[in-house]
Amino acid sequence: MTRGQPELFRGLAQEEIDQALATGKRITVAKGAQLFALGSDADHLYIIERGVVRLTLPMQIRGRDEDVMVEERTPGQTVGWSALIPPYRFTLKATASMEAELIVLPREALRSFLEARPAAGHTVMLNLAAVIGQRLQLFQAMWLREMQRMVEQRCA
Amino acid sequence: MEMFLMVICMSVFGLAVTVIAFGAATNQQAQAPAAQPELDTVVHVGEGRFFGDEAARPVQPQVPVEALLLQIDSHVRLEQAAAESFLEYPTAALLHSRTVSPLVH
Repeated sequence: MTRGQPELFRGLAQEEIDQALATGKRITVAKGAQLFALGSDADHLYIIERGVVRLTLPMQIRGRDEDVMVEERTPGQTVGWSALIPPYRFTLKATASMEAELIVLPREALRSFLEARPAAGHTVMLNLAAVIGQRLQLFQAMWLREMQRMVEQRCA
Repeated sequence: MEMFLMVICMSVFGLAVTVIAFGAATNQQAQAPAAQPELDTVVHVGEGRFFGDEAARPVQPQVPVEALLLQIDSHVRLEQAAAESFLEYPTAALLHSRTVSPLVH
């Protein structure tokens, strides 16, 4: 169903991947289309097939909220893993940077699928932990770099 | 006696010179306001001039929001690339590598 193994389903048999993807539906979104808003209910998980999805957070610039890029996700990557983590609310806003093709997986359907296949569920959860852990480590390093600059400015 | 008279004469002379000098000085002070142009007594000082930093700082032209957003975008990409390099080979040198981001410089 998808080109290459999506990061979330890495390590699963192709048959299982196809079954998991079959729980969702494929959509095409135009450039600039919003997938989800910050704080909205996270009922769906997205796997990018084509295009780029931009994850943003609002920043106050001259008294106005402006969307500032936090991360960009590319084909094979997962967007919206808040759908699998309580309290199931999106903590970022996702917008298509260009026309994109995505597979939208409803949380409940994916959960039922994984509960019925504990081994596959275990692999998917490990993949999910890798995605979350990678972001945590990335932002930890970015935060420390900003702190370092702040300290240098203070000590200058 | 002669010495005494001489001291008195000198004292009287000194006193006279002092009185004349004082008279001349007070006369000049009295005439001064009329002769000099009126001075503006209110001195306008810039708010930050006392410390000198605000006055010395050149006025930065305001960057358009769109340009600023592009700079932030570029900054995030550069920082992510730097953070990814660090995660690949975690060393203090890579963690604190310098950035070329225009937002910092």
